[in-house]
Amino acid sequence: MLKNRTRSWVFVLFFAGLGSSATQDETGISFTFSRFTLKNGLEVILSPDETLPIVSVVLAYQAGSIHEQPGKTGLALLVENMMFMGSQNVGPMQHIGYINRVGGEPNASTTEDITYFTQTVPANQAALVLWLESDRMKALEIDAAKAERAKQSLIEEITERKAAEPYLESLLAFDSLLYPDFAHGHSVLGREEDIAGLEIEDIRAFYATYYVPSNAVLVVVGKIEVDKTRELVEKYFETIPPGKKPPLFLPPRPLEKRQVVQAFEDARVPSSAFHLGYRTASPYSRDYYVLTVLDYLLFHGKSARLYRKLVKREGLALFVSGGIEKRKDVAVMKLFSMNNNETMVELCQKSLLSEINKLRTYEVSPDELARAKNLFKRDFLSRLASPQERALVLAEMLFSPVGLEALPDQLPKYMRVGPGELRLAASRYLSPESSVILNVKLK
Amino acid sequence: MKKVLRLLGWVFLGLGSVLAQQERFRKSPPIPDPLLRPELPKIDFTRLQNGLLLAVVPRPDQPLISLELIILSGEGRSPRRLPGLASFTAEMLSRGTPLLSAADLEERIDAVGGDFSTMTTPDFSRFSFHFLSGSLDPALEILSAMVLHADFNEREVAALKRTKFYDLKQKQRDPEFIGRRQLLRILFKDHPYSQFFYSEDVFKNLTRKDIQGFYELHYRPNNALIVLAGNIDLAIAARRVSHFFNIWPKKDIEEPPLPDPLANAADRFCFVDLPRAKEATLVLGNLISPLAEPDYYPLGILNQVLGGTPFSRLFMNLREAKEYAYSAFSRVEFFRACGYYSVVAQVIPTASAPSIREIGRELERIGREKVSNFELEQAKSYLIGQFPIRIARLDELSRQASELLAFSAGESRWSRFLESITQVDADRIFEVAQKYVLPKPVVVIVGDKDVLLDELREFDRLEVYDLKGVLLFTLIKGVEG
Repeated sequence: MLKNRTRSWVFVLFFAGLGSSATQDETGISFTFSRFTLKNGLEVILSPDETLPIVSVVLAYQAGSIHEQPGKTGLALLVENMMFMGSQNVGPMQHIGYINRVGGEPNASTTEDITYFTQTVPANQAALVLWLESDRMKALEIDAAKAERAKQSLIEEITERKAAEPYLESLLAFDSLLYPDFAHGHSVLGREEDIAGLEIEDIRAFYATYYVPSNAVLVVVGKIEVDKTRELVEKYFETIPPGKKPPLFLPPRPLEKRQVVQAFEDARVPSSAFHLGYRTASPYSRDYYVLTVLDYLLFHGKSARLYRKLVKREGLALFVSGGIEKRKDVAVMKLFSMNNNETMVELCQKSLLSEINKLRTYEVSPDELARAKNLFKRDFLSRLASPQERALVLAEMLFSPVGLEALPDQLPKYMRVGPGELRLAASRYLSPESSVILNVKLK
Repeated sequence: MKKVLRLLGWVFLGLGSVLAQQERFRKSPPIPDPLLRPELPKIDFTRLQNGLLLAVVPRPDQPLISLELIILSGEGRSPRRLPGLASFTAEMLSRGTPLLSAADLEERIDAVGGDFSTMTTPDFSRFSFHFLSGSLDPALEILSAMVLHADFNEREVAALKRTKFYDLKQKQRDPEFIGRRQLLRILFKDHPYSQFFYSEDVFKNLTRKDIQGFYELHYRPNNALIVLAGNIDLAIAARRVSHFFNIWPKKDIEEPPLPDPLANAADRFCFVDLPRAKEATLVLGNLISPLAEPDYYPLGILNQVLGGTPFSRLFMNLREAKEYAYSAFSRVEFFRACGYYSVVAQVIPTASAPSIREIGRELERIGREKVSNFELEQAKSYLIGQFPIRIARLDELSRQASELLAFSAGESRWSRFLESITQVDADRIFEVAQKYVLPKPVVVIVGDKDVLLDELREFDRLEVYDLKGVLLFTLIKGVEG
C-alpha cells in the first residue's frame, strides 16, 4: 500500500514538475539539467557532469536583507551564520567538520534577496551533504546562548570590516540615498545596534518564515546518477513540512527623478573620494542587458574606458571601480572614485560627466563594443564551467523573474546588444537628473 | 464509517512508522558509497624544435583555454646586487613592444576575452593567460609579441617602478606577509633565494640595461614551458604554438646549481615592529626537502594533522582549548632547492609568549609521538577528496600541471597521487616529523612593539628588525644588549 503511494507520488511529480532541457552556446559549452518539485514545494535541479568525481550542492533560500524590517537589520546574515551552529542531529560547527574531513569546503553567502549554502565534495559523499542540509532545514537549534554568540560575532565582523574598509561607512550612506526604499537601501551587514537588540523570537521567526522547503531550491551538479540522486533528495527532504508561504514582497515606490548631491565626512578615510550612482532599468528588462554590456565597457578589463581615462591618461583618480548592481527587482549603475584631494574630486566628476555625455551622444566603436562583449562572455561562460559556479547560476536563475528556462537565451541577449542601443540606454538612464552623488571628505 | 476510520488508522500508523524510520536515518550521517577513483585529465607533452616544452591538458567540455607560460628562472637568478630583477622583467613584458604600446596590448588581451597576469617565485616567472577557446590564434599572437619582442621602454620602466613601490607598500600592511618574509629572509640568508624577499626600495636603481640583460639571458625557449588546458589537443597545440614561437631562438644557459641551504637548528626569536597592529602575528618555520623528494606526501599529511584545517591540532589547541588565538594554521611550500613548513597564528597580544610555547609543544609532540590512526585517516581523506575539487577550475588545473613540469616532479606525482597518499602510514609521518619538525624552528613575531616587547621578556634573546629586514637591536631577557 505504502509502496504504491510512493510510486504514485513519483509518477505525479514526473508529470507535474520534471522537465529536462539542455543549453548550448556558440562556443560549445553544454550541459543538461532536470527540474522537479517535491510535494512540500522544494524545487530541485539535478545536472550531471561526468568530468571529475565531485559533486557540488547548493541550497538557496529566498531570504536576504530586503526581507528584514526596520530595526531588525542584520537578521538574514545572522541566521546564515547560525546555520553552522548546530541542528537536531548535527552539533555546533560539526557541519564544517564533516565536509572538511572529506576534502570539501563549505561556504555560505547572503545577498539582498537570497542566501546560498554551498559545498563541493567527492562524488561518493553526496548523501552526506544532503543529510546535513536537510537536518538544518528541518530543525535548526536556536537557543539564547547560540544567538548571543552569533550576535557578538557578527558585530565583531562588522567592526573589523569597517576598520579594514575605510570607505564602507560612506558606501552604506550612499546606498540609502541611491535605493528608493528601506528594504533595498540598507546593507546585508546590518546595523550594530539593531543586531544587538535582536530577540531570540526574531531569529526563530525569520528562520521559520524563510528557511522552509517552499521557499528554497536545491541544486546538485556533478558526477551523479540522476535517479539515485532523486531518491536521496526525496528521502532527506520530502518529509520536511513545507512551511507557510513567506509574505509577499512589496515593490518599491516609484523612483524620484531628481539629482541628489550630498557630502559625507569621515575621519577614517585616507583621501577624498566620491560615489556616483544612477537608478536604471529593472533586472532582466531589455535595457538591463544593454546596461550590463555598458558596465563591461566602462569598468572591466585592462582597457576599460573609465580606468584608462581617469586614472591612466588624466591622472585625476587614484582608483576607479563600479558597475551595474541588482537588488532583486531594482538595478543601479554605481561608480566609486578615490582622489588625491577635493579639487581632484571636482575635476574628476567633470571629466566623468563629459565622458558619459559622449556615450549619450556618440556610438561606441565596433571594436570597443566587441571587447566589452567578449569580456562579459568570458565571465558568463566561466560561471557555467565549474560544477559549483554552475549550481549557483542555476539557483539564481530559478529565483529570477525570467525563470530557469530562460538560461539558454541569456548569453545571446547580451551578445545582440548594438551600439545604437548603448547610446539610447546611456541617454535614458545616465542623466544628471537621475544621479546620486555622495562626496566623501576628510573630517 | 467504522471501516473508513479503521482505514485512516492504518494510514496514520503506516505514516507514523515511515516518519519514525526517517527519524532514524536522520540521527547519524549516511555511510558513503565507495570512493570513486579520481580519473584525472591526462597531461600530454612534447618538445618543439627550439627546445620549448609544450604540454596540453585536454578538457573538451570547457569554453575557455587556460594557458601558463613559465620561464624557469625566478628571483633566485637575480644578480646579488639587484634583488627583484626577475619579477620586474616579467612584469615589463606586457608593457609594450616596438610595434604595440602597452595600451594596444591591453586592448588585444581584452578582445579575446582575456585575463593576463604575471607572478614570480624564487624558481620561475609565470604568465597566466585565460581566454575564449575560439581565440587561440590571436591569443598566441599577443603572447608571442610580448615574449619575443619585449621593448622595455624607459617610460614604462619608470611607471612600473612606481606601481611596484606602492604595491609593496600596500602589502606591508599585512602582518602575515611581513612575518613570512622575515622568516624566509632568515631561513634563506646568503642563499640565492634571499633575492625574493626584497623591500619596496629595491627597484630604485634598476636600469633598462639590467632588465634587457636578464631577459636576454633567461627568456629562451629551452628555459621555458607552455601548458594549455581546455578544449584543445596536443597536435593542434603543437602546430599553433610552433607557428607563433618557432622564431624564438634557443641559447645555452649555464647556471650554477642552487646550493642546499641548512635548516635552522638553534633557538631564534625575531620581532618585527608594525605600529598600531591590534593582534600579534606569529610565524614559525624551518626548511624541508625539495618537491622531488619521497617525503612530499608524508609531509603533506603531517601538515594536515598539525594545522591544515580548523580541525587540526593547532587550531583546536590554540583557539578552541586555550582561546589564545583567532586562527592557527600550518602549511608546507616547495621550491626547487628545498621547501619550508610554517605555522601562522593570529593571537591576543597578552597570549603571545604562551602561544609560542604551545606551538612549540605541538611541534615537539608530532615529532615524539606517532599520529593516531583516526588523525591519519582523516588527513588522507581530506587530501584525496580535495585534489579533484581543486582542479575542477581550469586555471587551477593548468597551474598545477605547469608547476609539476617546472619542478620536474614526474608524471606519477599526478597519475598516482591516490596510491601515494594511501601508502603513507604513521611510521612515515613519524620519520619526516623527526627529520624536519624536531629541529628548532625560527620564530617571528609581528606586532606593535610598544604593546608586545614587554610580553616577550621571557625569551633569552630577541632580535628586533625593521620592515626592510635590518637588525635594529637585540634584547637579552627584555633588556637592550
